[in-house]
Amino acid sequence: MKQFLLIIGSRMLQLIIMVLVLSFITFLLMKITPGDPIRTMLNVEDMAATKADEERLMKEYKFDRPILEQYGEWVIGVLQLDLGESLISKRPVLDMILEKLPATLSLSIGGLVVLFIIAVPMGVLGAVYEGRWPDYLSRWTALTGASIPSFWLGIMLIYVFSVQLNLLPVMGKATLAHFILPSVTLGVAMAPLYIRLLRERLIATLQSSYIEAAKARGLGKKRILFSHALRGSLIPLVTMFGLSIGGLLGGVTVIEILFSWPGMGELIVNAVMSRDYPVIQGYILIIGFLVVVSNLVVDIMYVIINPQLYNGKESM
Amino acid sequence: MSNSLLTVNNLTIESRSGEPLLKGINMEIGRGEMAALIGESGSGKSLTARAILGILPDEMKVNGQILYKGRDLLKLSENEHRLLLGKEIGIIFQDYRGSFTPYIKIGQQMIETIRTHQRISKKAAKEAALLVLRETGLESERVYNSYPFQLSGGQVQRAAISMTLALRPNMLICDEVTTALDLMNGEKVLKYIDKARRETDCAVMMITHDLAQAYKWSDRMHVMYQGAIVEDGPTEQIRFHHQHPYTRKLCSSLLSLPKERKASSAEGVYSI
Repeated sequence: MKQFLLIIGSRMLQLIIMVLVLSFITFLLMKITPGDPIRTMLNVEDMAATKADEERLMKEYKFDRPILEQYGEWVIGVLQLDLGESLISKRPVLDMILEKLPATLSLSIGGLVVLFIIAVPMGVLGAVYEGRWPDYLSRWTALTGASIPSFWLGIMLIYVFSVQLNLLPVMGKATLAHFILPSVTLGVAMAPLYIRLLRERLIATLQSSYIEAAKARGLGKKRILFSHALRGSLIPLVTMFGLSIGGLLGGVTVIEILFSWPGMGELIVNAVMSRDYPVIQGYILIIGFLVVVSNLVVDIMYVIINPQLYNGKESM
Repeated sequence: MSNSLLTVNNLTIESRSGEPLLKGINMEIGRGEMAALIGESGSGKSLTARAILGILPDEMKVNGQILYKGRDLLKLSENEHRLLLGKEIGIIFQDYRGSFTPYIKIGQQMIETIRTHQRISKKAAKEAALLVLRETGLESERVYNSYPFQLSGGQVQRAAISMTLALRPNMLICDEVTTALDLMNGEKVLKYIDKARRETDCAVMMITHDLAQAYKWSDRMHVMYQGAIVEDGPTEQIRFHHQHPYTRKLCSSLLSLPKERKASSAEGVYSI
């Protein structure tokens, strides 16, 4: 238990350091990229903008102050759970993000469910029937999934299931049916790597001595596969999952825009277009936070799958 | 032999490429007998054991007859064969770390194995598991609740043996069980196996490359060389009246040991 708390503690420390570094870098990058939020704001307010107006706004938003000072103020705000307010809509950034976050998270989870539904059976088929037709089916599924760009797959799914067959809704997230197409698009895009990785690992595990021992004890095939072999093969998958969470949260944006999903994707694209710094900063902070938290979950899953790690020993 | 338990008739195994791995093995093991299968690595000892268990890789071609209690194991369906494993024929492996799945507690694996072959409650299976662990001289509760990596090699090996013996098999295959253990633990393990054999009248097929061990424990010896049994008979007979050149070489390599020991102990290397 002590070690467990230690893991959590060290992750929290990592979280703080990572978020500080990340936010500082993005802060700097935003300042040096071309484009100017003040101009955007003046355009939004649609009046004959003068040089004086511009200077007044620069002062008001403290854009004339040194960068470090601006960053420091932002950090102090974050500590008080205040991410500032949008330069465009004038609403608190935290509210804007929290409003959109559930939609993005639920879509990501939907994608993961589809990923799981595709990758585990396909990986298992490929390994158990190595070199026979189910293996080829698994291989072709992976290859096809890897070759199709997700935006094109999304459009095709919309065309077939919504336009032609009229079975599923195209956009929005009103019902569970709305989840199906975007989740499938997301899951199919991620599945190939997992299918292949699981297959390779499972083939190796099935040849290991403890599987031979399980066979020699007379255990049933299914039992050996699911409660002995599969578990050992899941470890690298969990590792890869931990590494790809960032990519998932980024990749979800494309899908959101394609399906007009009311998530953070639209929010961040608009914020980038209009140089809405506080929103971009807030978004990066939240995504960074999510990545670290989900990696913590991955660490906990490791311990559950392979108790050896919990004792701080290397696997054999 | 009227009390024959296992009879192997002309067993051949070929690899996928057609290379002969076993060249017509004939062997008979009686009930309660301790038979040693001795030979150098690669002579086909473990392959023979795996053929009996039916856990050879699919691509190997197996021919001949393996009669266990009069039933030809090679003609059984996969499921019929599987049900004999553990219950009728048990095996203990050389690689004790590989005897248990590393991320499942030993107790859980014992219960799983017992309940595969016996229709008993989890509680009764746990009782049975704890009993056999205690019989091997292990701290039963602790071992039961441990993962394999939390125990020493000797403990894991003894736990593996208890699990195998828990089902009271009629035949036990010991595949170089002492090779990975130190001398003391190796002796302990063999003593326990021999005791179990006498108590349950279970036949033991002891696969080894250690001649001294075979002399000490076995009733009968089968000497394997390059995929064939070159000599077999009662252990005493093989020890003193062997015929085959390979057996002679094997035996002479052991006989040269005492001299060496004398020489070394004179130099003070051994303090036996």
